[in-house]
Amino acid sequence: MNASEPYSAAVGAGITIRNLTVTYHTDRGIFPALKDVSLDIRPQTITGFIGESGSGKTTLAMAIMNAIRTPGLIASGSIYTDGVGDVLKLQGESLRRVHGQHFGFVFQASSNSLNPLKRIGAQLLDLGRSHGIKDPRILLKEARALAERMGMDGDRVLTSYQHELSGGMRQRAGIIFALVLRAKVVILDEPTTALDMLSQQAVLEIIRQIHEERGLTSIIITHDMGVMAEIVQRVVVLYAGRVVEEGPTQDLLQRPRHPYTKGLIDAIPRITGDLAEAKPLAGSPPDLATVPTQGCVFRDRCSLRRPVCDLVEPLAQPAHGDGLVTCHGVNAHD
Amino acid sequence: MREAIRLIKRLIGGALMVLIVATFTFFLVRLMPGNPVQAAYNTLITRGMTPVQAANEVRVMYGFMPHESLWAQYVHYLNQLIHFNLGQSISYEGVSVLHIVLSAAPWTITLVLSGVVASFLLGVTAGVVAAMKRSSGMGSVLTVSGSLLHGIPQFVMALLLAFVFTTLWPIFPFGAPYGGALTPGFNLPFIGSLAFHAVLPVVAYALSSYGGWLLTMKSSVVSVMGDDFVLAAELRGLKPSIRFGYIARNAILPLFTIFALSLGFMFGGSVFIENIFDYNGLGNLLLTSINNRDYPLMTGAFLLITIAVILSNIVADFLYTAVDPRIRRP
Ligand SMILES: Nc1ncnc2c1ncn2[C@@H]1O[C@H](COP(=O)(O)OP(=O)(O)OP(=O)(O)O)[C@@H](O)[C@H]1O
Ligand SMILES: [Mg+2]
Repeated sequence: MNASEPYSAAVGAGITIRNLTVTYHTDRGIFPALKDVSLDIRPQTITGFIGESGSGKTTLAMAIMNAIRTPGLIASGSIYTDGVGDVLKLQGESLRRVHGQHFGFVFQASSNSLNPLKRIGAQLLDLGRSHGIKDPRILLKEARALAERMGMDGDRVLTSYQHELSGGMRQRAGIIFALVLRAKVVILDEPTTALDMLSQQAVLEIIRQIHEERGLTSIIITHDMGVMAEIVQRVVVLYAGRVVEEGPTQDLLQRPRHPYTKGLIDAIPRITGDLAEAKPLAGSPPDLATVPTQGCVFRDRCSLRRPVCDLVEPLAQPAHGDGLVTCHGVNAHD
Repeated sequence: MREAIRLIKRLIGGALMVLIVATFTFFLVRLMPGNPVQAAYNTLITRGMTPVQAANEVRVMYGFMPHESLWAQYVHYLNQLIHFNLGQSISYEGVSVLHIVLSAAPWTITLVLSGVVASFLLGVTAGVVAAMKRSSGMGSVLTVSGSLLHGIPQFVMALLLAFVFTTLWPIFPFGAPYGGALTPGFNLPFIGSLAFHAVLPVVAYALSSYGGWLLTMKSSVVSVMGDDFVLAAELRGLKPSIRFGYIARNAILPLFTIFALSLGFMFGGSVFIENIFDYNGLGNLLLTSINNRDYPLMTGAFLLITIAVILSNIVADFLYTAVDPRIRRP
């Protein structure tokens, strides 16, 4: 949160995002996948990004690492992270070093994040070589230990090719790559989608433990409200490329302010509860090609809609103590 | 051990292919208009041979009797074939086809292999550069060079090279595989002269398939660069050289399958290139045997080219397995 904080290798770094706009340039036109996003990711905290498919979660994660690729473009904004400065100003070698050493990333489709022609161990050595690791044995030992912690046979994983591992094992191998260099900020894009419920629990628990041990700053992207409630400390709710609500998990889930967040929470059938109680979110998920360019982007699906929503895009106002909500329909002092 | 079994399987498969091609050519020759076996028999009769003499002569040439049933002739032919007897040449009287074909083969194989290797290395490298520098001038120039060269037929390329570099601008010798005054053997001047004479035909082979390699490699690299694992490698901060290795190795895989096709194409091209540069290889042999209606020689040359292509297929297949762990059999 504070860019002037002294850099320390052992401590996670905060991230300060200001006025970030990312556009995708397609045949059908130029679409803002993120529009004027300002957000603080607190250091040593697990932050969750949540939102429907296409709301911009992956794009935001990529932008934080200055890793938006064509046809995407970071149109404006700044992203400060402790010990690095403005990530968006980095390029070439300095950006390469930040990838891997400062940011560890676990891919959404992490089952395909490995080179199919090389053994996992050899790829770990490539990683070490790229980041000036003096003693590769330490790296491999660390990788083995991480594999064992996530319930796999370390030697087997390191000597395997990707196609010899199951989907869940590949995903965990992807997590090893994100953690093994001891990055300060770890971003996990749907890290547990290929896992069954039990492994999912186990892996999340490991992630939480390592997060605490290392004092990491972690970001977890997920569709799964259960995951959110369980390990995430703060929640960022995204809708059509806007941050519509942010706050501490407990408060946000119990007293959601934005009608969209309410809708998301109401849409989860609780295992113990009545399935009929789950109300699917009305309307269809936003399509960047059709979101209104003026006024609130959520108004067509909104229960609190009022005339001002058609004209003016709402601004962020304080909520949940140190969080925020972006809606004309909620009163900050409610 | 596993590999050995696989090799044996592949060799058996290859032998079957050769059998099929041999069968095909056998019936082709028999069914050609103006049945050449019968024609040879008739010619001999008109030269004053008795029917028995003529029949024996034809038998020596083709390996079967002209008056037997087609089936019996076929069995005869195969029987000769597995004893490596390809019959006798008509135009080179009294010389066995096997002998002629085997002495021609090294010329063709050397030229074709050098051409394939040169074009593969050149085309693949250029393809990678063309893909990496897609949006720059250099990338477009390379791609255009590939498309242009890809469109020029092999014999036009050979003629063009011969014209430009032996007549217009006489740098390279023309018309023989080595200097006439030299004694063939393992001596430096002879080998040097061989290599020097081989430059143009090898370049002709190489340029004719360079474009294909370049374009295929380019599209393969572009598609691999879009794969998740490449972005992952980038976001893990892998060094550009390591990342490049990941891309190149993955992109080159599909080219091994085309390698086999390309070899067939190259051997086909030897008909023109050896003719233009005057090499007594299989291609030239095929051409002269057709001109002289020397059917035994024709089938022999054709069979040897087939075997060469099949063997190189097997080699390409084993190379493929060596680089792709996913298709290694358990
Ligand atoms: N390469 C691209 N080209 C064009 N549009 C893109 C591209 N990548 C993403 N987008 C658009 O940007 C928007 C945000 O995409 P993003 O992948 O960030 O969503 P997400 O929230 O991660 O969704 P999901 O939950 O499905 O992963 C979407 O509308 C998507 O269509
Ligand atoms: Mg996503």
